[in-house]
Amino acid sequence: MYIVVIGGGKVGYYLAKALLGEGHEVLIIEKDAGVCEEINEELGSISLRGDGCEAATLAEAGTERADMLIAVTGDDEDNLVSCQVSKHKFNVPRTIARLKNPQNETLFKMLGIDVTISSTNVILEHIEEEVPTHALTHLLVLEGQEIVEIKIPPEASTVGKAIRDFSLPPDSKLLLIAREKGKNVVPAPNTILAVGDRIIALTTHDTEEKLRDILVGD
Amino acid sequence: MNVLIVGCGRVGAWLARLLDADGHQVTVLDTDAYSFRRLRFPGLLNEFKGTALVGNGIDQDTLKKAGIEQADVFIALTQGDNRNIMASQIAKHIFKVPRVICRIYDPLRQELYSNLGIGAISPTAIFADLLKAQLEGKAEK
Amino acid sequence: MEFHRILVTVNGTEVDDETVRLACRLAKKDKGKIWAVYVIAVRRALPLNAEIESEIKKAEAILDHTESIAEEEEFTLETDLLQAREPGPTIVDEAAEREADLILMGIEYKKRFGQFSLGSVVPYVLENAPCRVILYQQYNRK
Repeated sequence: MYIVVIGGGKVGYYLAKALLGEGHEVLIIEKDAGVCEEINEELGSISLRGDGCEAATLAEAGTERADMLIAVTGDDEDNLVSCQVSKHKFNVPRTIARLKNPQNETLFKMLGIDVTISSTNVILEHIEEEVPTHALTHLLVLEGQEIVEIKIPPEASTVGKAIRDFSLPPDSKLLLIAREKGKNVVPAPNTILAVGDRIIALTTHDTEEKLRDILVGD
Repeated sequence: MNVLIVGCGRVGAWLARLLDADGHQVTVLDTDAYSFRRLRFPGLLNEFKGTALVGNGIDQDTLKKAGIEQADVFIALTQGDNRNIMASQIAKHIFKVPRVICRIYDPLRQELYSNLGIGAISPTAIFADLLKAQLEGKAEK
Repeated sequence: MEFHRILVTVNGTEVDDETVRLACRLAKKDKGKIWAVYVIAVRRALPLNAEIESEIKKAEAILDHTESIAEEEEFTLETDLLQAREPGPTIVDEAAEREADLILMGIEYKKRFGQFSLGSVVPYVLENAPCRVILYQQYNRK
């Protein structure tokens, strides 16, 4: 499938990475030139600088041949407009918007846009800080699959162990290990887990707890 | 008429004053209380007697508090095209406001949303047309 | 200084001929090898593997011409026709894969919005090249 992603922030980046891993053709549209450059450096030439709400940018992105458009910027209204323009001007069969405010779900669905809610991200992160057992944060939920962030707490029994020591559930895949000061590591069998690692993983609703238990080790 | 205006910039404030002076019931919503200074016209014109409220025009709870359920007309005049578009669609589809008007600077988006049944106006297109007509000498006739 | 594996970029402009001649002379002296590379940039509106006949024809004609210029210099070079979204990274990758020790690029004096411009490909290659780079600018200003 050809999938256009609007917004190259944290969510857009991991989403694109996961989709590429599944063998899809992906393009990220992002306003910030610096962010585009970073994406191209890390993931190959898969970003286009521009405003994902503008018909001209969407045309340049080849949106008319896209099978799906996923808008994951931080603003509900921008995500709405990107989806509507691609739906009505470029006949994209499936559009998905990330929502911050769950209240908007009804409106988006009335307008024929599928919705993924990651509103509670910020709140969850707070909870995570205060309740160390809550180590799993949902970054994005998509058609049964989801991208989650799992934080390795100091007391985790897995600290110091290598990725190859774990038997991960078959439908889960580790995408990236985010470390302090933006030092990110692509998980390899010999990568050793450290305290404070934030592991970005692709998993499913049914397996997320299992994956968390394996990585955090309780 | 009961009118709800979202966005108290120059246009929003000026329109609010005009409608208020004609005896309509006007509520203005803006995220920034400082914007409401534009509703004061000391000594020059009639004072605005309507309601000014601080709040986000794309938040459904805020819109309810601003009385959107009683509004006959909803006008979106914030600085962001996409905010206006979203606010207008909330007004039209969720609250079924009979008349919805929306400012969209981008002429392409304006065309699209007009086709989707939103009363969309593009000041960019209108002003450019006006200038062009004036240059071609049509405006004076 | 010797160059044994030269990657020379061509794009169908006037500067190609002189750049290819220069590459031949540099390579001949050191008994080196040359790859002449042309990149078809595919718009996002088309899939990356789209076969754009007109573009392929044009590219083949340019590469054939490159070969004939090399023959005039009594040199036989290899040609590479590549297809990508962006020429810059493609040229850099190709140079790495061929283990080139020189990228030779011809440029024309160009203005964009009234200002001298190198475009986006040249700066990318300069910044990311895995080997030495020579820019050759044709002198055609009056």
